[in-house]
Amino acid sequence: MGIAAQRRRFGGLLMLAPMQLQLILVLALPSLYVLWLSFTESSYGAAPEFVGWANYAAILSDPTFWRSLVNTLIVVNIVVYVEIILSIGVALLFQSVKRGRGVLMAMILAPYAVSEVVAVLAWRFMLEPDIGILTGLFSALGYVPNWATNPIEALVLVSMIGVWLHLPFSFLLIYAALIAIPADLGEAARVDGARPWQRFRLVTLPLLMPAILIAIIFRYIFGFRIFSEVWLLTQGGPARTTEVMAVYLYKNAFRYNEFGMAAATGWLMVLGALLLASFYVYHVYRSGFRNED
Amino acid sequence: MKTDLRATLLRGLAIGMLGVWSLGPILLIVLSSFRPERDIFSPARRFNLDVTLDNYTQLFATFPQFLPNMGNSLIVALGATALAVTTSTLAGYVYSRQRGRLLAASAFFAILVRLVPPIVVSLPLFPIADALKLSDTHILLIVLYSAFWVSMLSVMMKVFIDQIPPTLDEAARVDGASTTQTFLRIILPLATAGMIAGGIFVFVYAWNEYLFAFIFSSTRAVTAPLIVSNIMDSVAGTQWGVLFAAATLQLAPVIALVIFFQKFLVAGLMAGSVKG
Repeated sequence: MGIAAQRRRFGGLLMLAPMQLQLILVLALPSLYVLWLSFTESSYGAAPEFVGWANYAAILSDPTFWRSLVNTLIVVNIVVYVEIILSIGVALLFQSVKRGRGVLMAMILAPYAVSEVVAVLAWRFMLEPDIGILTGLFSALGYVPNWATNPIEALVLVSMIGVWLHLPFSFLLIYAALIAIPADLGEAARVDGARPWQRFRLVTLPLLMPAILIAIIFRYIFGFRIFSEVWLLTQGGPARTTEVMAVYLYKNAFRYNEFGMAAATGWLMVLGALLLASFYVYHVYRSGFRNED
Repeated sequence: MKTDLRATLLRGLAIGMLGVWSLGPILLIVLSSFRPERDIFSPARRFNLDVTLDNYTQLFATFPQFLPNMGNSLIVALGATALAVTTSTLAGYVYSRQRGRLLAASAFFAILVRLVPPIVVSLPLFPIADALKLSDTHILLIVLYSAFWVSMLSVMMKVFIDQIPPTLDEAARVDGASTTQTFLRIILPLATAGMIAGGIFVFVYAWNEYLFAFIFSSTRAVTAPLIVSNIMDSVAGTQWGVLFAAATLQLAPVIALVIFFQKFLVAGLMAGSVKG
């Protein structure tokens, strides 16, 4: 390597440093510290003491932890699949529209700009007892909703808020893949006499599948972290029945002063995310090889 | 002809439903913020069209900290945007123009640590921020928000900078320009679309973020989402109007931004999703 090339290389590393430094200081070191914390007994202000796997044993034998895990799985699964199906529908609709696309795109993207706080407020107001628009609608159909007392309804409402907030993101992922499909493929199928549903199922859907899988994994990883929607709506109540994992972690750390248990919960969440991401890596790896032959 | 008409009608219906779904909750908040309290509370007066600014005057009278808190949001969002976009553009340039095992490891690391949920790092950062006297400050939120975006933005900037022909860099180098000069004079002007796209992602996130603001801010660095949630805790069910006025003010700037820059947003997300 020449001196000039070596200097360029050093300059490159220097330019990379500010970005890397943020990741190391804010993400990498703190999460390693949390790993260590998860093997210690500690509370805010007190010196930690090594306790081995005790924290993990404590949370795994805590029914509230299991409840929060099940609740998280309920919310994540509703969010991911409802969102993906809606995204595919909206992407196909958007593609079929020829005029006014700018307005339609603005309409689809609008919820992306809304904060979790305002989204929770809007949906909460629509489902408020007596005065909510949706409460009125459901009552007219013979069912009186009450998310404040019914945990399942609260979790479904949380899921709907999640779908509402993140549909623009999933839509854009799916739409990017949809416009990459060559138009003559669908055209050829039509000439061969395929009906619209057959064209979708046999031509479009298989070609969208890689993007759909990526969107599903993305949304699983981000869905597992859900905190704000639940916290702002129910704070995990009534009687800790609507807690999700992040809320369980938060309460252990900042309400019950159990930093060790909170850290153990945190690392289980990190491991879950790694596991989901490894599906993604495996998928990319496999499809990479498939493309080569 | 008949099926054409039916398809058009179905499509119109679908667009209508999409509009109600997407815009309904937003319009409900914005329109309600201009209605008298008694109309908001009574389903019988749902179609009363009286318009008032009472909710806004009431908001500023009851919660005088509201505007300063909006100011905090602006400082934090602009700071995080500047930090994330600057550092990611530098990194994206290196990722685009250089190769090597160290760079591959750095990109892998950037994506790997992004898997850590925000609530997890708040655990150790809470006592550390306290010890460093950074709790309840703008700078803490700025660094936190930026750090959670630099991974995606660096990859995105690499994709954008990849589209700038490397022959331009080489020509500059032959003319005797240093790496810094090449970066400032050649790359930056051509990478602005990517920087705007990335900037909007960070700004929207930082403007709306709740979790970190909730954990780390108590008085001086309270941001708009946090004050809206505080108002929600204290007046929901009694003074919806005030709450809707606050929500509308928190929502308006960023919704205008997203709609105004939607082309950049779409381009940015597509560049990010290619490799991300």
